[in-house]
Amino acid sequence: MDGVLVGKRVIGAQSPVILGWENIPPVQGGPFKRFFFSWFQPTMLFVLVAFWYYAPNSIAKASIALWFGFCFRLLLLCLEWVNPRYESWRLTWKEATTDLFYVGLAYTLLRVADHYLGSDAMADAIGRYFHQDKFAWFTGLPLLVQALLIVVVFDICQYWMHRGMHSWYPLWLPHSVHHYITQLNMNKGAVGNPTELFLIGLGIGGFFDFLPRAFLIAGAFRLATETYQHSNVRFNSPRWWRYLFNTTEHHSLHHSRDFESTRSNYAPSLIVIDRIFGTCVDGEAELLGMEGGRRMSIREQMTHPFVEGWKALRGLAPASVSESAGVGKVS
Amino acid sequence: MNLRFINWIWHVRGSLALPPGQSGDEAFGRLDSLFREEGTVHQRTGGTLNFSKKNQAAQDKMSIFDRGILRIENSVAGSSLHYCLTSRALLFCFLAPFLFLAIAQLTIFVDKLDKPKLEPAKKSAIVQMNPIDKALGAPEPDPEPTSDAERLLKAEEKKPSPTAAYVFAGIFTLLYVVGRFLEDRLIKALFRKSLMGIA
Repeated sequence: MDGVLVGKRVIGAQSPVILGWENIPPVQGGPFKRFFFSWFQPTMLFVLVAFWYYAPNSIAKASIALWFGFCFRLLLLCLEWVNPRYESWRLTWKEATTDLFYVGLAYTLLRVADHYLGSDAMADAIGRYFHQDKFAWFTGLPLLVQALLIVVVFDICQYWMHRGMHSWYPLWLPHSVHHYITQLNMNKGAVGNPTELFLIGLGIGGFFDFLPRAFLIAGAFRLATETYQHSNVRFNSPRWWRYLFNTTEHHSLHHSRDFESTRSNYAPSLIVIDRIFGTCVDGEAELLGMEGGRRMSIREQMTHPFVEGWKALRGLAPASVSESAGVGKVS
Repeated sequence: MNLRFINWIWHVRGSLALPPGQSGDEAFGRLDSLFREEGTVHQRTGGTLNFSKKNQAAQDKMSIFDRGILRIENSVAGSSLHYCLTSRALLFCFLAPFLFLAIAQLTIFVDKLDKPKLEPAKKSAIVQMNPIDKALGAPEPDPEPTSDAERLLKAEEKKPSPTAAYVFAGIFTLLYVVGRFLEDRLIKALFRKSLMGIA
């Protein structure tokens, strides 16, 4: 396989990928289906943001937002059955069960860990030393501007955390587990070692708790843009959408079996951040995973970072991201 | 320890008649492609086929099973395929509700240890709504709670609750019941279609 030169990198030399939007197959079907799958994403973004902007205070609560997230994901699971991107990504009972186990951990054990050790605890500690007066300049801004700033700051932090995970071996170890998935489905975003999920949860989201309304709008914005990353739904996303936001196409490349492709498209919502930093690649891939698509069991996913880390410390295993992925040293 | 009374939890057993005139060799020939997946090892001895799978991909049609035995039995009524398949995924799903119930108990235990301390009330800043939001009709924010009871209630609301763990225990119970019946039917249908050459 020759691959294609994108910037200074050769993409697709190790596993087949599709590069360029013009080469990605569009939604097939009648005019209603094509219309629906072209305008679903922008419409949902508008509807969700408008809802949280106008919702009465009695409804605008984090618990209601959790239910919204649950229902939205359920809707996308249904769309996966109606219009899958790839048949080979079809959700099976075993995959659904495995994915839900990780979702369950995220909603239970990790929530407890986050509350006492993670972002909630950090936000609480910092909150004791700051007073809302200090943020008056921010809370006086229009709500949509506050929400957008939250999304941008959060995305930039997550971009560098994610890029760090792909560049520095100690961070790659917990994150590598997530890259063993061989298909994209709605709940695959939760699949990974709990250490990584805890690290990802150390975003700055918790620090915006003092701005409930703007925080909820930012959450709705992220729900309506970020959730598609791991979904198996084929959309005809408008050109401006795929220029600004991370899509399934972008994220499938990030999960492909081609090493260079995995080192692209890091931002969770705003792919435009990748464009600014030169790490965006437009395209998609069907063959996903590591080690030729080897599926990792839950037991191995739980122990992999620690076992490999221990081996690396003793000099018995590769100690860099590129070596562990079986390719030459990355410059 | 005799597990035969409980091993239905993670075993799927069944049988189906071979199409008329189909021999054991032909039947295993038709099923052969199912055992040529990545991570699958199989061995045939006479009328018996043993297989085991490791790290099977999601795309493997038998990915839920980790090992099993398929046997051709001949009788006056005709030949039939008997199978006994083992699934760690089914066992895991059966046990998962207990794990989440334990997590719920852990959450309650941690909650009992953690009594929220009331910080001295800060002078609450009055959040001024931006004129654009006022013009667009966004609701005014609620004032910050000032009484101790309200602040205590707010602090309690922030603490993790065991409800999510109970919900997931329920979800996995339901998933197990669905999976135990669904996968039984799916594997039978897969074998039938393969034997008839339409899979």
